[in-house]
Amino acid sequence: MIVLGYRVRMEQRLSAPRSLLVMVPVFSVFFALVVGGIFLAATGHPPIGTYLKLMDNGYTSFYGITDTLGLATPLVCTGLAAAFAFRMNLYSIGQEGQLYLGMIGGSWAGIALADSLPTLVAVPVVLLFGAFAGAMWVAVPALLRARLGTSEIVSTLLLNYVALNLLNYFIFGSTGFFRDPTTSFPQGRPVAESARLSPISFFTDKVTNTYPTFFIAVILAVVLFWLMRVSNYGYETAVYADSPNTARYAGMNSAWLQSSVLLISGALAGVGGAMYVVGPAGKVDPGLLQVGLGYAGIVVAALARYNFIAVIVAAVLFAGLRTGGNALQISSDPVPIAIAVVLQGAVLLFALGGELFRRNKVTITRLQAAT
Amino acid sequence: MGALPFVANLAVVTSVAESSNSSRTSQPALEARGVTKRFPGVVANDAVDFDLARGEVHTLLGENGAGKSTLASVLCGLYRPEVGQVLRNGAEIRLNSPRDGLAHGIAMVHQHFRLVDRFTVAENVVLGHKSLSFVLATNDIEDRVAAITQEFGLPLDPRAVVGDLSAGERQRVEIVKALYQGAEVLLLDEPTALLAPPEVENLFVTVRAMTHTGKSVVFVSHKLGEVVDISDRITVMRGGKVTGSVRRGEADVRKLAELMVGREINIVPRRAKSPVSDVLLSVSQVHLERDGAEILSDINLDVRAGEIVGVAGVAGNGQRDLAEVIAGLQTPQQGNVTVCGTPTARAGALGARRAGLAYVPEDRLGTGLAPSMSIVDNMVLTRERGFLVDRKSALTESEQFIRQLEIKTPGPLTPTRKLSGGNAQKVLLARELFAVSGARVLVVCSPTRGLDVGAVEAVHALLDEARDAGKAILMVSEDLDEVMTLADRVMVLYRGKITLEQPGTDADLERVGRAMAGIAS
Amino acid sequence: MNSNIWLLTFADAISIATTLILASLGAILTERSGVINLGVEGMLLMGAVTGFLVADSSGNLWLALFVAVLVGVALASVHAALTVGLRANQIVSGLAMVIFATGLSQFIGKPIEGDPLPVLIRPIDFGALSDIPFFGPVVFGHDLFTYLTWVLVAAASFYMHRTRPGLLLRATGDAPATVDAQGGSVARIRWVHTVVGGALMTFAGAWYMFARSAAWNQSATTNGIGWIALALVVFASWRPLRAIGGAVLFGFSLQVPFTLQAEQIRVLPPTIVAMFPYLITLAVLVALSTPRARRLLGAPKMLGQPFVRDER
Repeated sequence: MIVLGYRVRMEQRLSAPRSLLVMVPVFSVFFALVVGGIFLAATGHPPIGTYLKLMDNGYTSFYGITDTLGLATPLVCTGLAAAFAFRMNLYSIGQEGQLYLGMIGGSWAGIALADSLPTLVAVPVVLLFGAFAGAMWVAVPALLRARLGTSEIVSTLLLNYVALNLLNYFIFGSTGFFRDPTTSFPQGRPVAESARLSPISFFTDKVTNTYPTFFIAVILAVVLFWLMRVSNYGYETAVYADSPNTARYAGMNSAWLQSSVLLISGALAGVGGAMYVVGPAGKVDPGLLQVGLGYAGIVVAALARYNFIAVIVAAVLFAGLRTGGNALQISSDPVPIAIAVVLQGAVLLFALGGELFRRNKVTITRLQAAT
Repeated sequence: MGALPFVANLAVVTSVAESSNSSRTSQPALEARGVTKRFPGVVANDAVDFDLARGEVHTLLGENGAGKSTLASVLCGLYRPEVGQVLRNGAEIRLNSPRDGLAHGIAMVHQHFRLVDRFTVAENVVLGHKSLSFVLATNDIEDRVAAITQEFGLPLDPRAVVGDLSAGERQRVEIVKALYQGAEVLLLDEPTALLAPPEVENLFVTVRAMTHTGKSVVFVSHKLGEVVDISDRITVMRGGKVTGSVRRGEADVRKLAELMVGREINIVPRRAKSPVSDVLLSVSQVHLERDGAEILSDINLDVRAGEIVGVAGVAGNGQRDLAEVIAGLQTPQQGNVTVCGTPTARAGALGARRAGLAYVPEDRLGTGLAPSMSIVDNMVLTRERGFLVDRKSALTESEQFIRQLEIKTPGPLTPTRKLSGGNAQKVLLARELFAVSGARVLVVCSPTRGLDVGAVEAVHALLDEARDAGKAILMVSEDLDEVMTLADRVMVLYRGKITLEQPGTDADLERVGRAMAGIAS
Repeated sequence: MNSNIWLLTFADAISIATTLILASLGAILTERSGVINLGVEGMLLMGAVTGFLVADSSGNLWLALFVAVLVGVALASVHAALTVGLRANQIVSGLAMVIFATGLSQFIGKPIEGDPLPVLIRPIDFGALSDIPFFGPVVFGHDLFTYLTWVLVAAASFYMHRTRPGLLLRATGDAPATVDAQGGSVARIRWVHTVVGGALMTFAGAWYMFARSAAWNQSATTNGIGWIALALVVFASWRPLRAIGGAVLFGFSLQVPFTLQAEQIRVLPPTIVAMFPYLITLAVLVALSTPRARRLLGAPKMLGQPFVRDER
């Protein structure tokens, strides 16, 4: 493109200098903090002081870190879900709806099945049903894509809304299976005790918001990472993501690869919802609708550049921003929670821009006057 | 007839434009003098002289890479030559873009159409036209398009949606587009490449209609057999240079083939023939159709252990489809493919591989290899893999091959896209020839395309080695030199048919050249 | 049976549809050039909150609307810079925009949360005309901007289908290489339409704020209308005129639950009814997936693909 007499050309780099690999995320965060700082200052809050409070409440204080880990739990799942699909150029943005379905499915198992089961069995059952429900929710878009080539972007998005209304229906719109029968106040029916896990106290006597499900999520990410590295399935999806022609040449079944990836992605998001039931909620909780963890998972995945281990880090980072921001809101000098969200979005936008600089070499040459 | 008044106007406009140069109507409508055009690493046009008389059909004939498309691009303004001039009606013109070309009445119709499927014929014709009004006068436009189509025998409904049209009809849209924009000189780049024979006839009728009204046409083609009738003159190019030019009536097909292929008919030293044994690959009566067009017709060939069968032909005659059918990537509508005794035509790529076939495609990085993945990862691409991928043995193998074949790479974990063409090809061949255990049949396409001399030698040596080890090799190549050097038997593929088969030692180069150009001998 | 309330519901639906139409019109223009901007929801909110803030401090409705438009231009420019200039992934960029803009709007809206609106957009008083049975409330019961929106849609449709720049726009989304080969600037066309689209989106949000909301409160303000607008684009097959029908339908389905509740009618639970717009759109999506339908009614072929010219 030509801007003000200079030609700006972008060429793909053959190899990126290693230093950029680290510099780009660091600079992204830095610039995001600068932008956030400007907004803070403009609205009368001291930037440095606010950031320090944010850090403390998000990461460094005891309740800060445990709240963060708690919030990070479903976020790791939706992040994995998004990364798994996006890596294959399948832009499923239905993690939000799959999360809700996972909550519903896990809840169902927790109510209907878990009563007679010991915790060691009940919890995995609940998680499995959550995964299954999430996968089912993406099955229709996956089928539509495989058979008719329908864009998965819009179809998964629409189903988010259907899921949202389904959730509202179960809690506010009916007095059915998922409603708590003991009260007329609309809330979810609690699952069996055996399907619940208690929070981790980290050798203190405090009640935290971190549940063992966090570690299950981390283990899930690590296992997934390892599996995709060593397994044939991981190999084939990597080949397809790199070059669909090569996958065809090698005799791989593209339709199966695409569909299965979408289903697994849905299952991962569903597990996140089920973890929410096993952990803090214990029931179908419409409060989850407000948090936007599905969409945040996409942001996390993009920042982690679809690497599953990096998803854990990015999820904790983002969760920390949210919890830190939450605490800021009710602190002595209230700062709206939005600052955390602003930082998240800004980090991502800068990371996007930075990623492009890493992948491409930008040359700016002055245009010669036409002869 | 509503079209007549417009046609009359058109004729007036045309003659006014041309007669303003009436003193120069003896000058060629378009001319290239001493045109040289270079690209990195290749001289595409080398001091080329070419002229086009008014009302003439002048064909630029040559194989792929001969430079004819480049010359046409220079003549229409798509490229600027380093050296030389372009003249229109005797006056030098400077063309900086195709728009400049259009301003001088020169338009090129490309091989790959640039049309918007969603739009109607009229909308496509008029897209980008510089004097288009802000508010589209759709009815007027459609009328004018209809007039042009009638005048030049290009039946088209201006309201038809282009996406619904056949290849021949789409080409007509492209031609109408050029005519609508006032082109007097039309350059048609490989116009018959995408057409079925009856559509080719229609095209020729159109071309004659155009020249009758004073338009001049340059035909760029490699299909000697087709253009011989339509051309007033034929200029042959090879390797960037003009090798000869003949007029209608003087056209000696034999001479033309020689000019295209570029060598004297002489004895080419042949390699020692190794003993040949069983038939390992057998293809019989294979037909392949796609979108209603016949891509391959009645293909029959055998390849025995210890021989290299070369399939020669100009690009675009079905080479890739032939290779893919044999390799199991496409399923033919009729016919059989048998690999080492096992029928594989309907078994898919995996079935063919399991039967003992290995395939090296022409597109190395985009198809044969996964470009962002390492050599090691690519090593296991075409072998049987269990639940887990065994990278350890692949690593040992890769290191071995890197040493043995002298593959220049920082290491076995380097992504393959960082390798040079020659080294990538070595990786491919190593995998398909040696790493894939049990592969006794090899199908390889254009094995040395784009490689430097050293790499070419290395690849040829590898193929020879495989042949001597008793493998059956089918080599499909557009490089006639390569086929003639390596093949024990030579076949020619033209328009999806095998039109010639000859033992390598006695290959009559002239017959091969003519078969490649589509002339029956 | 109170038929009046259904008429009022219908009239309400048309009114709500204004936001939908404006937002999806912005999305249609953007997507027709080949760029997908998922940030609509965030843009609506930013339009609403900046409109409120400006109106609060200046008392001037027109100034507020103008500033909202400027904000849309700015936000859309960021998206265009990333996706057209730097060829970033459009999906990710748009989603980042939603999160960023949603958060930002919440942030700057904090001080005025819950405050009553400083100005309102009121329906035009047509006097006796609005008492005409049936037509009255439906045709004559709206404000100036709703009527302008109808005009705008007609103008946009004319622009897209009957003018030269509109032809270029449609060609850019389907075959940017062709436009480029003929000397057109794909980048410029994409920039212009992305930015104009963004301006419409924030305007839609601001309008909604002044015409239909009681006060600023982030989650209640737009109700996910931004996402519905994106679905509406598909429903409308990327054609402005068709967006009207879909918008009214969606607007109606958004209103119906309230009407049912007021009338104490329970045919289907309101939450189930609320699913209908999305399910209908999904069905339309499927129907649009046949190759011919896709060619004529479907998405611009190169939607979402960055354009790279093959340099030679």
